Amino acid sequence: MSARLSHLLLGLSCCLAGLPLAQAETGFEVADASREAYSRIHPGLPQAKSEEVFRGRGLFRQSWVIPPAKDIEIAGLGPLYNQISCLSCHPKNGRGQPPETPQQAMRSMLIRLSLPGEDEHGGPLPHPVYGGQLNEQGVPGVPGEGRVSVDYREQTIKLADGETVKLRKPIYSFVDLHYGPLPADILYSPRVGPSVFGLGLLEAVDEQTIRQMAEDGKRQGLHGHPNIVWDAERQRNVIGRFGLKANVATLKQQIAGAFIGDMGITSSLNAQENCSAAQTACQQAPSARQPELSDSQLDAVLLYLRLLQVPARRDTGDPQVRQGEKLFAEIGCAACHTPALTTGEFPELPMLSKQTIHPYTDLLVHDMGQDLADGRPDFQAGGGEWRTPPLWGIGLVERINEHSYFLHDGRARNLAEAVLWHGGEALPSKQRFADLSSGKRQALIRFLESL
Amino acid sequence: MTTLPRTLAWLLVGLMAYPALAKEKLTVLTAFHEDVVSRYETAFEQQNPDIDVQILWRMPHDALPYLSQPQQGGVDVYWSAAQQNFNVLKQHGAWQKLGIDRNGLADRLGAMPLVDPEGTFCVSEMAGYGFAVNPDYLQKHGLPLPKTWLDLADARYQGHLALPIPSKVGFAPMMVDSVLQQYGWEQGWAVLAGIVANARLVDSGATFITDIIGSGERGIGPAIDFFTASAIANGAPLQFVYPEPVAYSPAHIAITAASQHTEAARRFVNFVLSETGQKMLFHPDIRKLPARPGVYKDKPAGYFDPFSASAQHPVVYDPNGAIPRLALNNVLFDRLFSDHPQRQQNLWNGLRKQEQRADAAKAARLVKLRQLLTAAPIAAAKAQEPALQKLFARRADEAQAEAEAKSLEQAWAKDIDRRYAEAEKLLLELER
Repeated sequence: MSARLSHLLLGLSCCLAGLPLAQAETGFEVADASREAYSRIHPGLPQAKSEEVFRGRGLFRQSWVIPPAKDIEIAGLGPLYNQISCLSCHPKNGRGQPPETPQQAMRSMLIRLSLPGEDEHGGPLPHPVYGGQLNEQGVPGVPGEGRVSVDYREQTIKLADGETVKLRKPIYSFVDLHYGPLPADILYSPRVGPSVFGLGLLEAVDEQTIRQMAEDGKRQGLHGHPNIVWDAERQRNVIGRFGLKANVATLKQQIAGAFIGDMGITSSLNAQENCSAAQTACQQAPSARQPELSDSQLDAVLLYLRLLQVPARRDTGDPQVRQGEKLFAEIGCAACHTPALTTGEFPELPMLSKQTIHPYTDLLVHDMGQDLADGRPDFQAGGGEWRTPPLWGIGLVERINEHSYFLHDGRARNLAEAVLWHGGEALPSKQRFADLSSGKRQALIRFLESL
Repeated sequence: MTTLPRTLAWLLVGLMAYPALAKEKLTVLTAFHEDVVSRYETAFEQQNPDIDVQILWRMPHDALPYLSQPQQGGVDVYWSAAQQNFNVLKQHGAWQKLGIDRNGLADRLGAMPLVDPEGTFCVSEMAGYGFAVNPDYLQKHGLPLPKTWLDLADARYQGHLALPIPSKVGFAPMMVDSVLQQYGWEQGWAVLAGIVANARLVDSGATFITDIIGSGERGIGPAIDFFTASAIANGAPLQFVYPEPVAYSPAHIAITAASQHTEAARRFVNFVLSETGQKMLFHPDIRKLPARPGVYKDKPAGYFDPFSASAQHPVVYDPNGAIPRLALNNVLFDRLFSDHPQRQQNLWNGLRKQEQRADAAKAARLVKLRQLLTAAPIAAAKAQEPALQKLFARRADEAQAEAEAKSLEQAWAKDIDRRYAEAEKLLLELER
């Protein structure tokens, strides 16, 4: 069976080779510009792992069931949760989107919560009742924690060549809070579900490389730094690289965190249901087996995500794209959106080792200015700091996810707006972008669309 | 939080500025994929901002006990491809009348009813059974496109098929049953035997069939249409062939009798069945077949239209009649085929070689050998006994039924083993 699966994966890869528009695939970069481009599994996995990766794919796509249930393998949703499937927030392994009106529910977005202060490991201090995340849904008999309504306030900015751009700023309001009001000093952070391909490669970038990028940045006058976070498995502080503030140590912990935080599904890394002492109905609701996500299931999802390939760049010969790429470097974007990295040794899955990748991130957190700040520190990432988001595959978001909302809260309605929201350390680059001629700005956007 | 006072001010303004917008909660139980559900959830809420849809997900076998709880588990709408559940729960008074305007919705598709006679549930969409095909693979191997199930049993397809095992893959029981219904019990099993002889048996779902065919490991995979159709719509170089006539798996929608949100539930049902809701089925990530004939005028290029197809080749398969025997069919398929695929394929390989030689002296024994390999596992009359069908349908819930079913299975397994042993002996004689 496993030999067949390996052959199958190889075949799937081969049948993509003829697709137009994309450059030849190398390693983890796959020449695919279709709507399945975020869902390609690397064909070179060891035979012994073949069945596991498909199991992981199935679990990632699974809609989970509230207990008690006959299907114990997929039971455990809730008692409190945001969505019923990983795919809900990461549709087609890509980006979620924010609500467009105050009435719409957050379907692929959530709100992190905390109080001022730190927990015992230096992370955010959860709210004693609502915890670290507002769970809008509850299983029958358990009220959801409440909803967040989002509205937008538009502002117009004028670029150097006279062109005007409207930017919209989100305004959040908590409604229908079922477990009492939130305090005035509550800290909250809106997060749209990010894409999930290429994460294995980011995990395989060694710490020394990340530290070196911070040093290189300093020489350019930048202050980006690694976020040092608590690794609950290794029981020590390490460089964080997952989550929008690089606030999670490993991909496994990121997955387990999403299972408990977003879906209320326990695992060996998060054995307790997400009910606070004041949430009595939640505490009394039945659980499925413990843990609800078995170690083998967690490992299967981990393997699947580690093996997701990355869309290769397209249209690299297009003169406008080439011009945009040059401008991307010239105006300073590439100082943080590092175009190329090499992964280190990764014994857990050696095929991830020593790969040259093009993520367009330095995995560091940078101050992005007050306009983008959430005011919610997370380990060493300050309230105005965000991890440089990888840009690989960003040019396919519109095709695959059928929207063009960008940034952590989806406020940007296109790539140009996303650039124009940059502040803090990125302010000079943003300003240079705003000062470009319309044609050059368009060239830079075309370059981003080629990623 | 000692820094960024301006940001905090923004956030706090937001915190306090909006009054609560109370929404009515509508609970929908389904087994549809998240790609489908999330689109309907979002689109419905856009049209009905006063309603908050909560989705509960359960496979049909787990949904039945859930909906049988007091207050039906708080569910307002059941929406699933689970005909048996709709039938059984109707008998228990679980549904209220839909009370919707059915103008523009078809009541039948050939032999298949699209609405419950009492109006308590109706078809919301359909999926067709057919063959996922890799055209490059067929070209490479010089194989024609199959048009019928009988075509798939032809020797030329030996080694080129991937067939889901009905006891393991959710959509497959009805698909296999449709072959038995279309060709009749005796000939149906013979057709299935020929198909199995050509196939790798697969115990995972429809996406896996699409993977296998897409990879070129096999060229043809009998399957339900939407997984393959969606893959095609998203760029996969595949084709889906609908046999003539087509059998369909219908999905239904109903409002629970215990619903406390009947009006909201009715709005949801109306939305799913509306032109807007039905056209959403055309989306590349869904690709199911609308139950509203009028929307096919706006279908994407190449999209299959079951109503037009039925005019050419009328639908003969009625899933209602099939349900009682599906559990029995699955067991028979496993004992006859899944227990010994290699043995069965070796025998067919031998049979076909001998038949090609057309030795008149062996004709009678070849007929006998073919008969041994194609005979139904049990007689048609036996298979039609309601008591036997119920026994297998109940076995998962009743220890006594399980014991009796197991005993019968063992007896059938012995018969089949003897039959294959006799065939092997006969083949050896023919090969001498």
